[in-house]
Amino acid sequence: MAVIRDMMSAFELFQPANVEDAAALLREHGEQAWVMAGGLDSFDWFKDRVKRPSVVVDLGGIDALKGIESTADGLEIGAMTPLTDIVRHPDIRERYGLLQQAAELVASPQIRNQGTIGGNNSQDTRCWYYRDGWTCYRAGGNICYADTPTSMNREHAIFGADRCVAVNPSDTAPALIALDAQMVVQTAGGERVMDAADYFIGPSIDITRMTVLEPGDLLAAVRIPSTWAGATFYFEKVRDRQVWDFPLVNVATALRVSGSTIEDARVVVNGVAPYPMRLTAVEGALRGGSRDEATAERAGELAVRGARALRHNGYKIPLMRNLVKRSIRAEA
Amino acid sequence: MNFLTWGTDPWGQEVLIRISWDLLYVASALGILFVGAHAVWLAFFVKEEAQPIDEAALAGVPEKVARHSLASRVFHWVMAASMLALLLTGFLPVIGIQFPWVTIHWVAGVVLTLSVVYHTIHATFWLGLSAMLVGPKDISDATSRFKRSVGQDAPAPRKHGKYPLENRLYHHVITLTGGLVIVTGILMMFRIDTPLWARDPYIFTDPTWGMIYVVHGLSAVSLVTLVIAHVYFGIRPEKRWITWSMILGWIDRRHYVEHHDPEQWAARSEGSSGQR
Amino acid sequence: MADIEITEAADPGVSRRNFIKGVIAAGAAVGSANYMFRGAGSIFAQPTSPGAVERLITITVNGQQRRVDVMRQETLATTLRYKLGLTGTKIGCDRSECGACTVLIDEVPHYSCSILTHSVRGRSVRTIEGLAAEDGTLHPVQQAIVNEQGFQCAFCMSGYVMAAVGYLQDNPNPSRADLAHGLSGNLCRCADYNKILNTMEQAAENMRQA
Ligand SMILES: Cc1cc2nc3c(=O)[nH]c(=O)nc-3n(C[C@H](O)[C@H](O)[C@H](O)COP(=O)(O)OP(=O)(O)OC[C@H]3O[C@@H](n4cnc5c(N)ncnc54)[C@H](O)[C@@H]3O)c2cc1C
Ligand code: HEM
Ligand code: SF4
Ligand code: FES
Ligand code: FES
Repeated sequence: MAVIRDMMSAFELFQPANVEDAAALLREHGEQAWVMAGGLDSFDWFKDRVKRPSVVVDLGGIDALKGIESTADGLEIGAMTPLTDIVRHPDIRERYGLLQQAAELVASPQIRNQGTIGGNNSQDTRCWYYRDGWTCYRAGGNICYADTPTSMNREHAIFGADRCVAVNPSDTAPALIALDAQMVVQTAGGERVMDAADYFIGPSIDITRMTVLEPGDLLAAVRIPSTWAGATFYFEKVRDRQVWDFPLVNVATALRVSGSTIEDARVVVNGVAPYPMRLTAVEGALRGGSRDEATAERAGELAVRGARALRHNGYKIPLMRNLVKRSIRAEA
Repeated sequence: MNFLTWGTDPWGQEVLIRISWDLLYVASALGILFVGAHAVWLAFFVKEEAQPIDEAALAGVPEKVARHSLASRVFHWVMAASMLALLLTGFLPVIGIQFPWVTIHWVAGVVLTLSVVYHTIHATFWLGLSAMLVGPKDISDATSRFKRSVGQDAPAPRKHGKYPLENRLYHHVITLTGGLVIVTGILMMFRIDTPLWARDPYIFTDPTWGMIYVVHGLSAVSLVTLVIAHVYFGIRPEKRWITWSMILGWIDRRHYVEHHDPEQWAARSEGSSGQR
Repeated sequence: MADIEITEAADPGVSRRNFIKGVIAAGAAVGSANYMFRGAGSIFAQPTSPGAVERLITITVNGQQRRVDVMRQETLATTLRYKLGLTGTKIGCDRSECGACTVLIDEVPHYSCSILTHSVRGRSVRTIEGLAAEDGTLHPVQQAIVNEQGFQCAFCMSGYVMAAVGYLQDNPNPSRADLAHGLSGNLCRCADYNKILNTMEQAAENMRQA
């Protein structure tokens, strides 16, 4: 456990009221600046004094980044929208239930009241070696403490590791990817819209970041197209405790079924790799198949092909296989 | 500017991590400065005295003088390619061009290592090391050559052996930096996941690892400077015949007679047996 | 993000970099101007950055406007307990992992250990001290606790009460399972969960009748 200190170290605080001011502040302070949304990930870093930015830009006062709006083709969710608002939104409950289920399983009610969809998707990994302030690869160092002969790595990756074996901890990220969502990012060069899957990057590309956001960038909104509205959804999260805990593995599946035939599928798993993992091979195998036990079985097998366990996380392979399987099997 | 990057080890102590990447920019700047300075020097300060070619000497020399065997040439270019790959994969991410570099890097590293091991054996037992040695005579030759180039009086130096002094010195520096980068690189493969052996970052203590990373980094940035200089000489017009010889294997007899001393490097015909 | 040195006592609105920029830009001018015009130092005056915050702020707590000197990095729990004397709010973990510090912000439960006091300017904060009526009549949830004696050491109690008040305002007719879910953001170190749920069922009943 980290040493608990009384107080975060000092920083300058800015609470801009609009995106332009926020962007200007971030540009001005560059690497010194920390973007703060709900702050629930941020404060852990600050209190443990592992990250000590000199400037914090709190997006909490920017109303333009809050709220859920219907668009011509689906929904646009402001990055600063709290998870509770997403859970309660009638349209999301009705047509994009996958996201509602995922958001409702995040952390605890108080955290959902304050934690934002933007923050939930931009949060850093929970690898405790890193969180404890050891200078590992992800912190700019030259070692991974979680992948040694003596490491405790029960929560770490079975896919996509490259020196760093940490996993992405978000519950809503796989749901967004399954729904084909897009991320709207404000950069110095203007607005960039990208597929949610491309928002996340692994350590092979940049070992110190979980997302494409560079200093000065802002996630402004998440767009959900109507592509998967009303599809057959399945979200399941396995964790050690039923509240507060991050996923050991979670699965977000969207199926378009006609009769007993799977016309199209999206299967995304998180907690197994440094980024939420879309299982395109599984999706391909599902397309056109019939929704039955055999197909589900095959999907599960396919899902874990190529998985590599560390010393203590071998259980994640059967766990992931079974979660994928269950997500496809017709409900009993 | 910083020279070193420090981090915190699990006991809260400062521990060396690597060099500071500021040094990459310093090394690149040095390389470019050297190239610029040398070009200016040659263009404006050196008074080249045209060396009359001893036409009689031409007669006894084969038309194509063998310089590099096929094996040597293949080694050179394999090494060059892997070196380039290592430089690009090592440093592009540092300057912000991100891609999955580690696998390409260590595979290129292994290729470089194997080619260097091959070259070391080949050079030691087949080529002989003598062509690379530097003796006192080489130093006095170099001094006179320098004096004459700036128009002072000095006794005429010998012509070159197979390799001019600068080449030999360059080779020794490369041997050192390349050797260090290879030894440290092989050790660093214990920190990453490769099929070759199990990852175990605890074979050394953190401070030792820090030193290994610093040595890898220092040699790597030195190689930036060295490679810039090497490529520059390789493409200078008056040195192209040397570059061509690394492709074709031979030099023509005029170049041989003009630059080389048969006492130190006897000419053999391209294609003859015993070619090295 | 780089691990950077803290700037203790950061200056409001004037970042060091801005200041240095100003100095460089004004450098030449000031050199001579200072000679000619006394007080030319106003060249250094910086426009306040948008969104810069003051230390002395007013926050609304339990219906009262409280003027308080707040550091930028100060959490609401710290302000409530150590600046405003409202020690009914407890700090258990200081890491959003226990719920002892739960307060209502605009009637929504939040962990006060994990929100900056500066973030509640313009919003209304309610703590356990603000539940009972002026005349001392307990809030229905408080009354339920008195009736059911639902806690042991009760360190977790004020957090539970605030979480329950917030939850029951949204969902006045919860099942026991709903209640468990709604109050799942609070931990009880004495593991008195059954009795706490009994209490909260009664609290819901009290609230419906109130
Ligand atoms: C005890 C605990 C348990 C948790 N359990 C779970 C769980 O089970 N499942 C789960 O998914 N999450 C869990 N979380 C994570 C929690 O949901 C996230 O911390 C929260 O969603 C982050 O959102 P935030 O708004 O508080 O982000 P912040 O802490 O403000 O930000 C998080 C990061 O994202 C960046 N960021 C945030 N918003 C933006 C933006 N708009 N643009 C650019 N960068 C931005 C910040 O710079 C920061 O680096 C838990 C957290 C805690 C403290
Ligand atoms: C021209 C030669 C080389 C250059 C320029 C070079 C450059 C670099 C650089 C810049 C890094 C990043 C180091 C750091 O993060 O501190 C690196 C890492 C690495 N190099 Fe090299 N290198 C070279 C040769 C080699 C060789 C020959 C090998 C192996 C045989 C090797 C193996 C590695 C490994 C395994 C790493 C990764 C270490 C890690 O990320 O922890 N390198 N190299
Ligand atoms: S898994 Fe990643 S974050 Fe954790 S110690 Fe290894 S490098 Fe650091
Ligand atoms: S003290 Fe705030 S949640 Fe524990
Ligand atoms: S009654 Fe003791 S902590 Fe809950």
